[in-house]
Amino acid sequence: MENNLFAYSSSPHAKKPRTTKNIMIDVCIALIPACVMAVVYFKLSAFLLIAVSLASAVASEFVYYLIMGKNFKQIATEFDFSSCVTGLLIAMVMGSQTPLYVPVFANVFAIVVVKLIFGGTGKNLVNPAIAGRVFAFISFTAVMASGWILPSISAINGGNSYDLETGATALTPILSSGSLPQLSNLDLFLGTGLVGCIGETCKVALIIGGVYLVIKRIINPLYPIIYVGVAGLFSVCLNGFDFTYFLPSILSGGLILGAIFMATDYVTTPNTFLGNVIYFAILGLVTTGLRVATGMEVVSFAILLMNLFVPLIDKFVYPKPFGYTKAKKS
Amino acid sequence: MSIRKGINYPYGIHVPDKKQLTCDKVIEKMPAPKKVYVSMSQHIGAPAIPIVNVGDKVIKRQLIGEASGVISANVYSSICGTVTAIEDIVIGNGQKMKFVVIENDGGEEQQFFPPMEDFSPASLVERIRLAGIVGLGGAGFPTAVKLSPKTQLDTLIINGAECEPYLTCDYRLMLENTEDIYRGIKYTAQALGIKKIVMGIEANKPLAIKAFEKYDDLDVVVLKKQYPMGSEKHLIYCTTGRKVPCGKMPFDVGVCVQNIKTVIAIKHAIDDNKALSSTVLTVSGDGIKEPKNLRVQMGTPLEDIIEYCGGKLDGTVKVVAGGPMMGKAMTNTVAYTRKTDSGFLFLTQKETSLVSSSNCINCGVCAKNCPMRLMPMYIESYTLAGDYAGAEKYGAMNCIECGSCAYNCPAKRALVQSISLAKSKIKEMKTNGK
Repeated sequence: MENNLFAYSSSPHAKKPRTTKNIMIDVCIALIPACVMAVVYFKLSAFLLIAVSLASAVASEFVYYLIMGKNFKQIATEFDFSSCVTGLLIAMVMGSQTPLYVPVFANVFAIVVVKLIFGGTGKNLVNPAIAGRVFAFISFTAVMASGWILPSISAINGGNSYDLETGATALTPILSSGSLPQLSNLDLFLGTGLVGCIGETCKVALIIGGVYLVIKRIINPLYPIIYVGVAGLFSVCLNGFDFTYFLPSILSGGLILGAIFMATDYVTTPNTFLGNVIYFAILGLVTTGLRVATGMEVVSFAILLMNLFVPLIDKFVYPKPFGYTKAKKS
Repeated sequence: MSIRKGINYPYGIHVPDKKQLTCDKVIEKMPAPKKVYVSMSQHIGAPAIPIVNVGDKVIKRQLIGEASGVISANVYSSICGTVTAIEDIVIGNGQKMKFVVIENDGGEEQQFFPPMEDFSPASLVERIRLAGIVGLGGAGFPTAVKLSPKTQLDTLIINGAECEPYLTCDYRLMLENTEDIYRGIKYTAQALGIKKIVMGIEANKPLAIKAFEKYDDLDVVVLKKQYPMGSEKHLIYCTTGRKVPCGKMPFDVGVCVQNIKTVIAIKHAIDDNKALSSTVLTVSGDGIKEPKNLRVQMGTPLEDIIEYCGGKLDGTVKVVAGGPMMGKAMTNTVAYTRKTDSGFLFLTQKETSLVSSSNCINCGVCAKNCPMRLMPMYIESYTLAGDYAGAEKYGAMNCIECGSCAYNCPAKRALVQSISLAKSKIKEMKTNGK
């Protein structure tokens, strides 16, 4: 009798077909509507940004592993598409006129320093895309702050989100002067006439992507809803309980993009349901708090900050085993 | 008595049950093979000690292995013939055990126990011990020990959940041997002095539920189709609402759980004076030509079973003894049926997963689905780091190894393997006094 005729492993022998790769591909698919709207609004410049960002993300992963001595075929089979997600997200959070070298630097930093050096997918402490965005924001402050233009479709209800003289975006009035933006909520929702990063202007496209992720059971819809809800309500509180501030504050800036695609990243969220509820609620408070305190769009900083608290939440929040009884005092 | 719905337990998973391959197939009696290899380790605890010698003539249901302690069980011959060898064999899952090899001479002679005279609990338990009956659900714990609890129990639960995919042997027995099961249940209850009998059956077996409706003294509980509903602790909770505390046994909450096949064996031992010498199992999977439910003599070589089922197909990549969730993989087909076998599966690439594991991505799916509410990803990482105390903190010792975590894991981590390693290391540490 020959030995080792069949595969040997511990149980279970049946497994769900879903793999890390499938999940990452689904996230990429969910980002397609946002990419399409980015190209519609910002034309060629958005397309170039997305293409360069995606290519540099994938290239940095391949080059890193080649330097580390893996062969090309092995890298290709182990490639899990998580760097595609990072690449797409970094493009989404750039202004349309950003020079193309900025996303390249951001991606190299995100993929190599934030993710691969720590051990690859799953080992990163903070979301690579967020870290890449923050890295670019700090390193190329002047370039990134001056790259804004209006989208190709102007606002339906008139008004303009952007004062080209002062460089103020739709968010700025709520943050600093306590007044509502000139744009209507519908325009904020559709992104028409709204200046902003290429992926975060059209909220409809982001929500379609979010619904796709929910249908595919990749994210729990409750988490982004808690985040956005808490952020909006806190902003209402800070503006003297005026509920007209609710929608403008959640529809402007990168809150929706951050809530659906960045904050929900598995690696950098707690492991339990309760832990996640706590995490997203605090994240909402921190985001609005920081927005008001700094007068800037700080969704990415808030997520980056809270990512670091995830291990702490996980340390204290975990379920009691089935049949748990309190240890008797002896 | 009544049919009622079980209590809902929110943690568990849904696995495609694949039972349609064999659920309509009547149990076939497979002819006795030319040679049987009767294992002396068909139960938990000390192996039985062979009491026959090479060259001895034995008849069917003659005692050939004697229990070597309290936690042990008698083993009987399953055919008439001559003992040709008593040897250690390494079977397909890597276990080494002692076998008594008997060559069939085609004889029909059988040995029976003397008819029962009194039906007192003590003599019922004694007969069950003598007949070599063990928990046939898979654990193989001697039933006589289970039926002699230190405290008075109040509820007997019969496990008709059969939540493992593919397996249909319990289901077929529930349909075909309904009366035997009922008699066995009554004897078991009598041995324990229990009045209240609950029978838990998963909702995907409507015919089985119907079959037991007619008995007035059975409380039939329809359980949600959910894995692992057949786990003892979850079955107890869903049928009675009692939670077995961590580290405790069912008898601590006044409950005794018995498997379908076990109660049938009890019935045969008491009514028909027969020792346990055959078993019913499901042969299934896309890798076998004719999936079947079979009654086989104990010690039948797996090779003979494969031949009887039309042979295995080329696409078979994995052979599993038991169900796909908790069964043991085998590297080859060296196996001989034992009391506790519930099935052999021949899985093709499509049915099983050979994807190699990647980094944990912290998605938390394992913890979300864990029916014991543990944190498999932490237990695994503590185990891999060699910190077994950390693994224990996150509940390693409570793990029932149902595989719900690893079934769902997108990174295909071998979570169950790590946790069972942690369990054995923790036990080792405790016996060594740290």
